[in-house]
Amino acid sequence: MPSARRGSRAERIISFGVLALGIAAAIVAWRLPEAGGYARIGPNFVPKLIAGGLIVLGVWLLAECLTGGWRAPVADDAGERGEHPFVPRAFAWVSAGLLAQMVLISTAGFVIAAAALFVCVARGFGSARWLRDLAAGLAIGLAVFAFFVHFLNVNLPAGWLKPLLGAAGI
Amino acid sequence: MSETTSALLTGFGVALAPINLLWGFIGVTLGTAVGVLPGVGPALTVAMLLPLTVKLDPTGALIMFAGIYYGAMYGGSTTTILLNTPGESASIATALEGNRMAKRGRAGPALATAAIGSFVAGTIATLLLTLLAPVVVEIALKFGPTEYFALMVFAFVTVAAVLGASTVRGLTSLFVGLLLGLVGIDEQTGQMRFAFGVPELLDGIDVVVLAVGLFAVGEALYVAAYQSRIREQMQPMSGSLWMTREDWRRSWPAWLRATAIGFPFGTIPAGGAEIPTFLSYATEKKLSKHPEEFGNGAIEGVAGPEAANNAAATGVLVPLLTLGIPTSATAAILLAAFQNYGLQPGPLLFQTQGALVWGLIASLYVGNVLLLVLNLPLIGLWVKVLQIPKPLLYGGILVFATLGAFSLHQSVVDLATLYVFGLLGFLMRRWGFPVAPAVIGLILGPLAESQFRRALAISQGDPSVFFTHPISAALLALTAALVLVPWLVRVWREWRARRSSAPAHG
Repeated sequence: MPSARRGSRAERIISFGVLALGIAAAIVAWRLPEAGGYARIGPNFVPKLIAGGLIVLGVWLLAECLTGGWRAPVADDAGERGEHPFVPRAFAWVSAGLLAQMVLISTAGFVIAAAALFVCVARGFGSARWLRDLAAGLAIGLAVFAFFVHFLNVNLPAGWLKPLLGAAGI
Repeated sequence: MSETTSALLTGFGVALAPINLLWGFIGVTLGTAVGVLPGVGPALTVAMLLPLTVKLDPTGALIMFAGIYYGAMYGGSTTTILLNTPGESASIATALEGNRMAKRGRAGPALATAAIGSFVAGTIATLLLTLLAPVVVEIALKFGPTEYFALMVFAFVTVAAVLGASTVRGLTSLFVGLLLGLVGIDEQTGQMRFAFGVPELLDGIDVVVLAVGLFAVGEALYVAAYQSRIREQMQPMSGSLWMTREDWRRSWPAWLRATAIGFPFGTIPAGGAEIPTFLSYATEKKLSKHPEEFGNGAIEGVAGPEAANNAAATGVLVPLLTLGIPTSATAAILLAAFQNYGLQPGPLLFQTQGALVWGLIASLYVGNVLLLVLNLPLIGLWVKVLQIPKPLLYGGILVFATLGAFSLHQSVVDLATLYVFGLLGFLMRRWGFPVAPAVIGLILGPLAESQFRRALAISQGDPSVFFTHPISAALLALTAALVLVPWLVRVWREWRARRSSAPAHG
């Protein structure tokens, strides 16, 4: 019976998440000073409105979820959406690449961090050719580094490759 | 009228200066090259290329951006026709027929009618923009903060609530954007808000970081998780690029009709090219003498939606340039590009920076010509770009995306913020929250707040001004109607359906 469909667990969690975000925003907003002065509209007024809006929307989402599920939902089944089921490894590799870049960029420098990101993302998208990906990542990182530093005068951290890049005139 | 002509001539003087012509040329080429990449829509293209312009003068940079904006749209249509992975919802209609044409060995004429149709629609729409902009500016100069605020509320609601599949999810996306817009120092009082003592957050959240996070990082996470193991079939570039006499006969009325549909939709703050492309598709299907071809590669079904898409994209520039109100994600990022130079689009900009604004408008005419000249001969190159394997493609996209965020302040905090927005984008994509309202909310929210507070300061705190000023009252009433009427209709239908089905169950 399709009309008896209840919102999925994910829909419930997200609805509560929006509600929680609204409540958290409201708590922060209520602690802001009034300082309204002339028109009595201080820096806390609009935050209160927006927090209130989020709370209303959270309740609205929850109501839809409990009365037959969200309207016009995205299909839960990946096949219905024309996709394959969730691949946790792929998600993890892309995330790992981004985290590796954050960790590496200030110490190892932009080029190495970019190459690490590139290799991990390629791995996440199913590539098994580490060496090719590493070479491509290093090449892109170097090209971008040279272009930004030389033509745009934007500083990017050279990191561990500083002596090498310096010697190459980059 | 003659004022407009002379202003436009001045504009052409600016746009045709060799250096600006060069920026325009670089813009359309880069825009097309990046726009061709599967999964990279116009908004992301503009956001990723924003850091490249940091050292340019404003006129050159904005002319380059206009080129990128148009180029990204052209590039997107190539991808849609050859690969059938629409980069943005506005291309879905093209995908329906264009990809079928390519499958039947008529990729050439499909690409040609898309390119020439975009040129025709883009040029006519730019002409309409030229004529309409001074009129809107004239009206907008009479607007006070009250009217501006009402107009922004109208834009918020149409973009968030009316366009998508679900009103509540659109509004949720908008409010998340508005909340993010609060982060930083309050302009009027210097009060810190939602910054939690993190120095990097005091400047507020950069719209580029949000857009790149949602569109690039979120998209990469999503595609990796759900689509990376699917093999896509690229249609080989086949068939001559030349359209037959029959193709021309069937295409040109579709281009013109689509322009008439697309431009008005772009200009009203209802953003997005989605509705006009589908309207154009439906119109062509209805009027066609060959309705049986629809679904199997009817050329009108490519010509119309592509032209409508471009006409709407130009129409979006009317509220952006004359009122400072972005009504699509791409327009929001263009607004950020203006703000980077301390420029606030709006009626005053036409007076204080006339040469810049008219130069930009003139460069749209130039950009359209450049694209027509560039795009069809270079089709072989774009096909090569399309063949980049997904692992390398997304690796490259993320290197450039993170570069854009990092180069803003050279800060790891921006990279972390980017990843958080990426996770948010993943969730939004997976559970059907539109992304554009969040981006528009972030950039337009603070502007709306300051108009709101200014309006109340003038009225000495009396909130009734929003309902007693006629323009503002009309806009707010229209906004309320846009949300409430569809909702009431739905509730009434559900109630009626339940009543009529109840006796059947006994």
